Amino acid sequence: MSALRITDLIKRYDTGVEALRRVSLEIEQGEFFGLLGPNGAGKSTLIHCTTGLAQPTSGAIEVFGHDAITNYAEARLAVGLAAQELNLDWFLTVEESLDYHGGYFGMPRKERQGRAAELLETFSLIDKRDERTRTLSGGMKRRLVLARALMHRPRLLILDEPTAGVDVELRLELWHYVQRINAEGTTILLTTHYIEEAEQLCDRIAFINHGQIVAQGTSPELASEYGVVSLEDAYLELVGRKELSRARIESEVS
Amino acid sequence: MSAAQIRFLTLVRREVNRFLKIKRQTVGAPLLETFLYISVFGAALGSRIKELHGFDYVVFVIPGLIMMAWATNAFSNNSSSILQQKFQRAIDDQLSSPASPLELLLAFSLGGFLRGMIVAILTFSAASLLVDIPVDHVLVLVPGLFLVGFFFAQIGVLIGVRAEQFDDVSTAQTFVLQPLIFLGGVFYSASLLPEPFETMTRFDPIYYMIALVRYGFLGYTETSIGLSLLLLTLATFALFAFNLRLFARGYKLRA
Repeated sequence: MSALRITDLIKRYDTGVEALRRVSLEIEQGEFFGLLGPNGAGKSTLIHCTTGLAQPTSGAIEVFGHDAITNYAEARLAVGLAAQELNLDWFLTVEESLDYHGGYFGMPRKERQGRAAELLETFSLIDKRDERTRTLSGGMKRRLVLARALMHRPRLLILDEPTAGVDVELRLELWHYVQRINAEGTTILLTTHYIEEAEQLCDRIAFINHGQIVAQGTSPELASEYGVVSLEDAYLELVGRKELSRARIESEVS
Repeated sequence: MSAAQIRFLTLVRREVNRFLKIKRQTVGAPLLETFLYISVFGAALGSRIKELHGFDYVVFVIPGLIMMAWATNAFSNNSSSILQQKFQRAIDDQLSSPASPLELLLAFSLGGFLRGMIVAILTFSAASLLVDIPVDHVLVLVPGLFLVGFFFAQIGVLIGVRAEQFDDVSTAQTFVLQPLIFLGGVFYSASLLPEPFETMTRFDPIYYMIALVRYGFLGYTETSIGLSLLLLTLATFALFAFNLRLFARGYKLRA
């Protein structure tokens, strides 16, 4: 059974903009899957359709065999979303943010308390546990968004540009953590603008552009498909900016 | 406790926690406002008017003030809470949870309903210290107030969901709800108004809500209580059904 199976997904907004055009994608259980594409390519829309934040126009989405539209409760139980926006509730403290999230997912109080303590420790948020979320720094907010996504122990973790705007130290910390939980069995879908991040972390990568999956495979497979030497060059080919290729610039300089 | 019960209680807890964390603004301010109404209309104006339909003027207006406190707090709590969460996108945490549209709507509704109830109970308690307020028909008063609270909680949810900026919420409150409440007879009896104002007042739906609550407290009415209860029940359920449809469609909540 796949962790995520998307079939012929179309998302057309009321404005008429077609953000997803018959997208089909399959992510195996335990996989670390990357989704790369320029701004507006449809990455976030795809994630929002999977998590219920957007309603697909047509097509099918299955999460561990559960239909994400008709059987959304079971599907959403299996998914944890760390959104791109730091969408924290200003009225809650750090610990409450985790506690409430666990509650929304039906976790009993004792289990919530234990899990929250574990995540506060893991993400170095213990000292901030009683602070309101709006007083946190950007990095701390990012940690909390990720901790919150993990609170209900999702089998599929969706990370929408989790390292955008964070310092190197936190980025490496996050990398190590997600690699660890992936090794423990959590399936991960990552969207990122950092090519090296996708290269370092992901087993397979899909390129999305103009609402369509245009290529997918391992990093070497993608490079080979575009007839270039690296994932970065393959991506530059995708977005039509091959003049920015480091290999090309170096050869021109020499 | 089942997972669904935990989920629903957490959703309600979030709404209650929000207004309790800013209780000076959400509970203290409306309480002071109602107290000022009682002081101004009871002490200052009441000394001139003396009695209205056999009741002290201040006693005559207090039922309407209690209803107004419940109604406006239920409305403003829900409209602000939903709009704030939409702005911050914090609402995504609830929307991406396994909660059903019915659970979400009920939880948002109960937040304002409970805030309105707390303010109304405190208003009644404080007013009882100042004057003797009778409770003549508790079996009309309790369902009447509950229906009014739930009706305005639904209006608050509807405006909060539809709103795209805070101006949308304050426009609805300032230009629609407040005039309807004030002109519905909180501070006077419609039967004392000259025509055409008396007839116009009877077209104001809030007039029947105030009449219900006033009858519950004082046993005085100018309208059919049975019909008022029936119409209010129907209007509340119709609004709830409409909101549920919006939540199921994800209207202005899900992209």
